[in-house]
Amino acid sequence: MNIVKVKKSTVPLSKRERKRYVLFEILNAQVSEKDFYFGFWIELLSFFGSKGLAEINPKVVLFKENKVIIKCNRGKETDLIGGTAFVDKIRNKKIILNPLLTSGTIRTLKEFAKI
Amino acid sequence: MDVVYTQPLKELLQMSVYFKEPTIVLVENEKDEKVAKLNTLFPCYLITESTSDNDIQKLKGKLRAVVGGSIKANELAVKIKADYLISPSNSKQFFDLSLAKKLTDNNTTVVLMFEELMKLNSFERHLYWKNYTEVAKYCKIKKTKFIVASGCKDPLHVRPKIVRSDLAQMLGYSKELANSSIEQELK
Repeated sequence: MNIVKVKKSTVPLSKRERKRYVLFEILNAQVSEKDFYFGFWIELLSFFGSKGLAEINPKVVLFKENKVIIKCNRGKETDLIGGTAFVDKIRNKKIILNPLLTSGTIRTLKEFAKI
Repeated sequence: MDVVYTQPLKELLQMSVYFKEPTIVLVENEKDEKVAKLNTLFPCYLITESTSDNDIQKLKGKLRAVVGGSIKANELAVKIKADYLISPSNSKQFFDLSLAKKLTDNNTTVVLMFEELMKLNSFERHLYWKNYTEVAKYCKIKKTKFIVASGCKDPLHVRPKIVRSDLAQMLGYSKELANSSIEQELK
């Protein structure tokens, strides 16, 4: 039996699903990336449910100096930003998530935040 | 524009300055009003069904808010032409198109206090959300001003303007109306 190696086809850039990146700043307390990720994820999951969260598809792209860049599906940035209103505590530290900028590229956000 | 309850005003002022947003503090007496004015915040009197007509007359020319939740409270808000109707309920069809129209004519803003939603468990939260999608729907049809306010007693529970505008949009309120309602100027 011959095993034929087939090269995996990649989806071309133009046909990939579009993403949006949102820059947040964490006010009032220092939190670690891991704590932030779990705290953030749990609050969004409890509000949107599994289906809603899968549609938003949030992912922490960058965490530096209390500034976070979160990736989400295009058209769902309103839900992501609205959902962050429910994040008020991480590891018993009271925090406020302040959305600063939404963009289609990470570079714009990095330049804006100077990180 | 954000609406909050009386709280440590120094910290609240810091938050208000940081978010670059005028903040309305709900007060019940003249003492609180003076303190709020001293801190360059906007005081707004809370009026309930038990407030006498004399007291309501005295407050003419000042910002006035009525806490909704019943038919009587809604009628009171229309009667006195209140500036804000806080947390109206639609559990028994208290809030309808005719009320929304009257509120638009009186230039009254419907306010959802976000802190109330935060305190609830997931089941109560879904009922609350359902109620507000209906209220927001009526407000959108009749172009009544509708805002989501922080409504907190702790300065660290204040939410930024963008977040609250997006919450209003999630409730089904249109983007233009949400932005214009939240950015209205205070005198």
